[in-house]
Amino acid sequence: MSAMLLNKEKWPDFIGKLADKKLWVPQADGDAMRFAPIAEGAALPLEFSNTRVPPKQVVFPQTETLYRFQLGQEEMEQPQLEEEILLLGVRPCDARAMEIVEKLFRWDVDDPYYLKRRALTTVVGLACNEPCVNCFCPSVGGGPASTEGLDLLMIDLGEKYLLEPVTAKGVDLLAAVKEFLDEAGTDAVKQKEQVISASMQKIKRSVDTEGIPKGLPGLWEDSLWQRVSASCLGCGTCTYLCPTCHCFDIQDETEGFEARRCRMWDSCMFKEYTLHTSGHNTRPTRRERTRNRINHKYSYYVDKFDVIACVGCGRCINLCPVNIDIIEVLRQVKEAL
Amino acid sequence: MEMDQLRKTAAEIVSRDDVKYLIGWKQGTFGYRIAPSFVEDASGAAELLFSPLCTANLATYLRLVETLPVPRGQEADTRKVALMVKGCDSRAVAQLVVEKGISRDQVVVIGCPCPGVVDVALLARKYPETEIPAELKWNGSGFTLVRSGEEIKLAREEVLAEKCRLCRYPNPVISDIMLGEQVIPWEPSADSGVAEVEKKDYAGRWAYWEDQFSKCVRCYSCRNVCPLCYCQDCILDRLNPTWVNRAVNFSENTAFHIARAFHLVGRCIECGECERVCPANIPLGRLNRKLAREVRDKYGFEPGADPEAEPFQASYKPDDPEDFIL
Repeated sequence: MSAMLLNKEKWPDFIGKLADKKLWVPQADGDAMRFAPIAEGAALPLEFSNTRVPPKQVVFPQTETLYRFQLGQEEMEQPQLEEEILLLGVRPCDARAMEIVEKLFRWDVDDPYYLKRRALTTVVGLACNEPCVNCFCPSVGGGPASTEGLDLLMIDLGEKYLLEPVTAKGVDLLAAVKEFLDEAGTDAVKQKEQVISASMQKIKRSVDTEGIPKGLPGLWEDSLWQRVSASCLGCGTCTYLCPTCHCFDIQDETEGFEARRCRMWDSCMFKEYTLHTSGHNTRPTRRERTRNRINHKYSYYVDKFDVIACVGCGRCINLCPVNIDIIEVLRQVKEAL
Repeated sequence: MEMDQLRKTAAEIVSRDDVKYLIGWKQGTFGYRIAPSFVEDASGAAELLFSPLCTANLATYLRLVETLPVPRGQEADTRKVALMVKGCDSRAVAQLVVEKGISRDQVVVIGCPCPGVVDVALLARKYPETEIPAELKWNGSGFTLVRSGEEIKLAREEVLAEKCRLCRYPNPVISDIMLGEQVIPWEPSADSGVAEVEKKDYAGRWAYWEDQFSKCVRCYSCRNVCPLCYCQDCILDRLNPTWVNRAVNFSENTAFHIARAFHLVGRCIECGECERVCPANIPLGRLNRKLAREVRDKYGFEPGADPEAEPFQASYKPDDPEDFIL
């Protein structure tokens, strides 16, 4: 199926037809936006720059029960993942992040939890007409209408959405709602090009990554790490809100005679992340932790999977309480090379 | 305050043999952001500024600094730290002195009388941030925003931070060097945030906090930014026993926030940093200010107002009220 047009007036019908899947959409929460399962009759605001917590929370929940068990019993109960999910309104950077993170979860061992959820999820993207002040996706291989990781891309053309299928899942989705769609002509395609090039013009910040992945390890003892990490609070804002950060911890949690093994997000910016049982900490101060965060994204990941583990969404810059700005850090890295 | 005076004074301080570095504010990388600056020389001092965008309470760095064990044969660096403080921030320093968290003679306090800072999120909503750093100045009655060569006058009430509307200590309570003129304190407004929760019944309050705490992602930015959350061994980090589970859900999140609020009773100096940094927009200030008011009303104790005071939770008077004990 080729690209189609959806009149915005038909939006409620379009949504109604997709009710066989669990629908996650961006919803307003005061100033901020967050992905949440759609509530009955809720408004669907699709004019927003991005959610604070990325949609990675849907395929990689912050806390996930692996299995449950009871004292004195040998059986374990494993939660079954069956529900199909439709993620609607995902920004291209966040979809690209899912694709990047998948490489890790497919590495030496296939991670059944992530891959199952990913397979059960259909991702409908929404191209960015209004990038945020710290968006720099074109610098790291993305763009306001990038389709990596998406099944279907929507582009807001004013009164209509242009819907472009990317995968077979996207084609199926369009087929299911074809009664509400019109064929897109060359006009619409032209309009899309204008919208996207206007959006590109609005992206003001950038990073020159040339030479960084190879050069970073050589800056191990450089004074820049002390400089950029001096004000770091050691909180998890940058990592928890990062769409590509994927570290987790595994814990057994008990309540009376019942227990569960679960995994939950962890952050390399926490002191206890590298704290050994002996009391020794391999990354004893925020200098080493900050250095690791940048190295992991811009060097180790590139080495292993041939892609930078940063999609330029700007969240860590927007929300860092003390203005540690990854663009500025990378500029200093570049200078030190 | 004149920036030249600030920079000259700062350069003098960092050139002293007994000062390690000075912690102040400098222009951030975009929009309305200000970055904490660790100044060691005159060139760093030249970047310092004090403006209505300087919301961050830098007193937190006094205890946040992580140092490696001193190698054999070397001596620990015991030089002082110089710190720029607003009125509210100075109370954190005073409270740290009260608790013996720091020793008064280890800090050079540079007092900055403060006519009130802005709520950056509120300002950005009205005048969106751009990639170019903007400047904000006090102009007597309100603020002047300077961006892309354009000057915009803003009424004080329009963008003033909530903590500043409630402020009773615009002038630093302790200082070694005071920069600029003392500010005439203003009449604090009624705490509408706390009142909004108080007017709910118990079920309503529970529902309110359930909704708020459910949003928490447990990044611990509130704990880490708090100048008075400085336990070496925090209850939240403990794994054996695990007092608070790592699972992120309403129950565990509530245990975290209530534990933190109670540990701050009689200690919170209402700088509002916890609420400012929260990426989930949880109004933590309401919780802490409510407890601070209880302490003030019942015991007449104001944390950080007097560096000579006895710590609230570790002191006892025979006539302490007890009518609320069941």
